[in-house]
Amino acid sequence: MDYGKAFAISAAGMGVERTRVEVAAANLANANVALGADGQGYQPMRVVVRNGAAPAAFGRHVEGALAAPLASIVPGSGTVRTAFEPGHPLADARGFVSYPAVDPATEMVTLMGAMRSYEANVAAMNVTRALAQKTLEIGGKS
Amino acid sequence: MNGPIEGVPALQGLAAGMPATAQAAAAMQPADTGFGAMVSRGIEQVNAQLLGAQTDLQALATGNVENLHQVMVRLEESRMSFQLVMQVRNRALEAYQELMRMQV
Repeated sequence: MDYGKAFAISAAGMGVERTRVEVAAANLANANVALGADGQGYQPMRVVVRNGAAPAAFGRHVEGALAAPLASIVPGSGTVRTAFEPGHPLADARGFVSYPAVDPATEMVTLMGAMRSYEANVAAMNVTRALAQKTLEIGGKS
Repeated sequence: MNGPIEGVPALQGLAAGMPATAQAAAAMQPADTGFGAMVSRGIEQVNAQLLGAQTDLQALATGNVENLHQVMVRLEESRMSFQLVMQVRNRALEAYQELMRMQV
């Protein structure tokens, strides 16, 4: 009764989705944090998830899924958003203030997708648990 | 009167003709291979899982838990292990009660 592997697979997926949610929340939280006059400040992040294991035979794909997915956080790309706010303490010589290149729509879509994927992982884990409980009913009364 | 008495050696021969039972009875003697030892090991593992789940719950209650789903997964694992133990116990108890209901 080795249902721990299926649980671990679902848990790994949940961890990845949670990382995506955290990064999207951090991006959204810092969307309106002005960059300094020298361009230093919050850098948008994005999550790149790779398979944790090297490509192997088909029979080892389950073990590959068990290997923790490499959810690395890399700096995001995009152009810095500038807003004309003269008088702002961080405005440059022309009166423009720079903000991180965070696209709120993209982050919201990422949040939605991460939430649905998380729910899918929970559903998969619940199905695994239901299978195990049905297995325990083998030979039982009623 | 000799007939029934001679039936007893026949039964003993029948018992001697079942080496599997004899081996199982002999296997009960070592501490590691018997059914009781196996059940004890399983119960110890389940107990360890339950204690781990309790530790996780304490960590959750005190707020220093890194990710919630790991706690929930471990709780589910310990619950399923305990249900497995309960099913094994039910089967063993049913077998015992069946034996006790046997007409002698």
